[in-house]
Amino acid sequence: MKSFYVLLFSLLFIFQTGFGQDKHGLPDSTLKTTPPPSARQLKEVVIKDKRLQLHQTEESLNVITINSDFIQRNLGGSLMKTLERLPGIKTIGIGSGQSKPLIRGLGFNRVVVIDKGVKHEGQQWGADHGLEIDQFATAEVELIKGAASFIYGSDAIGGVIDVKPANAAPKNTLGGSIDLIGKSNNNLYGSSVNVFGRKEDWFFDSRITYQNYGDYSVPTDTVFVYDYAVRLHKRNLRNTAGRETGLHLNTGYIKEGFRSVFYLSNIYSKSGFFANAHGLEPRRVNTEMHDASSRDIQMPNQQVNHFKLINRSNYQAKGHKLEMELGYQRNFRQEFSQYVNHGYMPPVYPDYMSISPQLEREFDKHVYSINLRDMMTIGNHKLTAGFNSEYQDNAINGWTFLVPSFKQATAGVFVYDKYKINEQVLLHGALRYDFGQIRMFKYTDWFDSELITGSTTILEKLTRANDLNRSFNSLVWSIGINYNPDQFLIKANVGKSFRMPIAKELGANGVNYHYFSYEKGDPTLSPEQSYQLDLSFGWNKDRWSVLISPFYNYFPNYIYLNPTANHDFYYGAGNQIFQYAQSKVLRYGGEFHLKYKVTKNLSTELLGEYLFAKQVSGDKKGYTLPFSPPASALVNLTWSPESVKHSYFSIDYRITAKQNNIVPPEKRTPGYGLINIQAGTKFGLCRQQLMLSLQAQNLLNTKYLNHTSFYRLIELPEAGRNIIVSLKVPFNIPLNKQKNRNQ
Amino acid sequence: MKKLSLLSICLVLMAVLSNCSKDNTGPIDTIYPEINTATNDAFPKQCSIVKRGEKFTFKALLSDNVQLGSLNLDIHHNFDHHTHSTELEECSLAPVKQPAKPFLLIKNIPIPTGLKSYQVSTEIEVPANIDPGDYHFMIRLTDKEGWQTIKGLSIKIE
Repeated sequence: MKSFYVLLFSLLFIFQTGFGQDKHGLPDSTLKTTPPPSARQLKEVVIKDKRLQLHQTEESLNVITINSDFIQRNLGGSLMKTLERLPGIKTIGIGSGQSKPLIRGLGFNRVVVIDKGVKHEGQQWGADHGLEIDQFATAEVELIKGAASFIYGSDAIGGVIDVKPANAAPKNTLGGSIDLIGKSNNNLYGSSVNVFGRKEDWFFDSRITYQNYGDYSVPTDTVFVYDYAVRLHKRNLRNTAGRETGLHLNTGYIKEGFRSVFYLSNIYSKSGFFANAHGLEPRRVNTEMHDASSRDIQMPNQQVNHFKLINRSNYQAKGHKLEMELGYQRNFRQEFSQYVNHGYMPPVYPDYMSISPQLEREFDKHVYSINLRDMMTIGNHKLTAGFNSEYQDNAINGWTFLVPSFKQATAGVFVYDKYKINEQVLLHGALRYDFGQIRMFKYTDWFDSELITGSTTILEKLTRANDLNRSFNSLVWSIGINYNPDQFLIKANVGKSFRMPIAKELGANGVNYHYFSYEKGDPTLSPEQSYQLDLSFGWNKDRWSVLISPFYNYFPNYIYLNPTANHDFYYGAGNQIFQYAQSKVLRYGGEFHLKYKVTKNLSTELLGEYLFAKQVSGDKKGYTLPFSPPASALVNLTWSPESVKHSYFSIDYRITAKQNNIVPPEKRTPGYGLINIQAGTKFGLCRQQLMLSLQAQNLLNTKYLNHTSFYRLIELPEAGRNIIVSLKVPFNIPLNKQKNRNQ
Repeated sequence: MKKLSLLSICLVLMAVLSNCSKDNTGPIDTIYPEINTATNDAFPKQCSIVKRGEKFTFKALLSDNVQLGSLNLDIHHNFDHHTHSTELEECSLAPVKQPAKPFLLIKNIPIPTGLKSYQVSTEIEVPANIDPGDYHFMIRLTDKEGWQTIKGLSIKIE
């Protein structure tokens, strides 16, 4: 905590001294006077609100848009944790800084994350991998709940999370902001510094984010790994500390009718895994070493680096808007752990191995993407025709095997028409064709496995994956309607989505020792298909607003990792066989959102979500799908006093039902209630509007288990009380007042 | 009136949707199988000792509420103290040492099909030329639905 204050004060100092130098801003005589910042901000808000309202009534899919204010108010350990307040959104999390999205119970490769127009490609398939997005660099997030393959291609079965960067600043401005963050639970301190500027047509926007956190604490001093009692030092989960850095530089050219922007970013994180159990495997630890510091990151740990270079350009000509995104990204993830001779591995790690004995797994992914779109307006039709293509090169390393190396190419074309019948009715129709090819490469164990039959012993290096070449194609469609009679909003959308099987599902034949599972792929899997009906009913009156969004979803061939009743003693080294299979799946559920303005300063909100999933064929007929979030409801009361402008005090009570609807190897999770408090204000200092936000998450320090957490299976409770303080200090650097005066 | 009819349409649709799949196919099994090593004749137990060059009989009572699946046995060294058992009781460990020829056994033990309860009793031969020391005796039991229970006992081989 001490270092946090040091950082806070030193940054405040920089900020103050920065102001002293304001008057010597950029020496450019062509710049014009800056519009007053407060007017600019006010204007922006108004436009945004109208745009969002319009968006709701013009999209037939279920769309939620949130902005950086929401992120500031509800700041969680990662962007996805922050979004978890929204109905229908959950996360699969590991530790306090890593999590991935779960939309209406679907996650992993069934949710598409778009960052700056390009599909974000990390290691979506793994439960212990987070999403490499810097939430401080996020200006707006658009969430589509429901199948959206017709626009986004393969994987957009569960939904889409579209992360948008800040818009370019107005002309002739130079400014920025400093964010300071502190969290009590894991002693996090961090900062994000942003500097942007724009002359006439050229602009830049840069940001550096740094966060450093210690082990997170839980409301218990003992956790049980099976029946073995693990004492926690100061109630901290051993070795869950982490670091994160984010570097961003956006620059581009904007002119009436044309814009081209380059986005360069690098996100790095290093975080530890709970030391006393790796997956389901209990680990004996040197408590003295681990407990010496709550901030050190020992093994096991992971390091992830995500580099991105994206160009987004668009050109507007008469009746056409042409858009293009070009992207390159590299996701490099390493998992470090002491060598343990699992199964038939030699007891001592051999000297001749070129792989470090500490490098358990490594995934190196290079992705090249291109998107092209032409948006045409023809009478009452808004027609979009587009093309998306992506090429992936995936290499692996490390002394364990989970997924083979593979190369993958996909391409798709689509047309989407939005037809405005009258002021109240909009029709949507879309058609898309995709083609994909995946080439997987052979992997052979580096050690001998032993097979004893009678008196003969066979020693052999097992082949874990074979060369495999498969191609897929898919035709998907979507139709929808918007009907908006005065205060009502009615939407319906029905469509088909798809997902190409991933390398692990097709070809893996390896043991995940941390889960005691021997995972067997199926090279004959067909592309997963999904049919979904989405409805939304909304009603807006002066003080009331209600939105109900039910959905119904059917998969004829959901790809599922089925834990079988058998063990394999040779390829599986004695572990339970988990076999990839396809089954028919039925899902339905919905969300509910009610807002009521009690008085001018007091408003209340009620959010609810419910999900039901069931496998209706196959080996697990009658069971649900893994990671099915339980039903939950959130009641909020917000007080925004008139006397102190831009201030709020808000309390959330979330009640989560128990989850008894489980499938092997899950455990029933009891229900719980949580209280979160958010408060914040804006105040002036040196002509700038500072934004101070306070949060208390899990106010009552409730001990609970999260059904969709990675640590659920070893019964690790979630984080205890967490007080979060964040301060946003925006600044504007006035440009050359004196020279302007001389002109 | 218009509002009312719209609202009622919504409610009817919701009701229809929520009733779409109430075709209950009977309760599903969500109960893990059990490995019982607490009975008097069960062996090995936590902290048991077995001898090199001798045979011992692995005895445990396996049970499930519906039907047992398969059983796997895994004996591996713990000379580096890399893991601990799944049990409450701690056993004293010999100092950390480098393995030379540790004993490794990975063995499926067949369970007759269709049983809810099974007393497993199987002979295990410990070779004479293996490293003595701390070992783990891992029992993995599944039931027919794929629920798996793991029991990791600490044993010593002398």
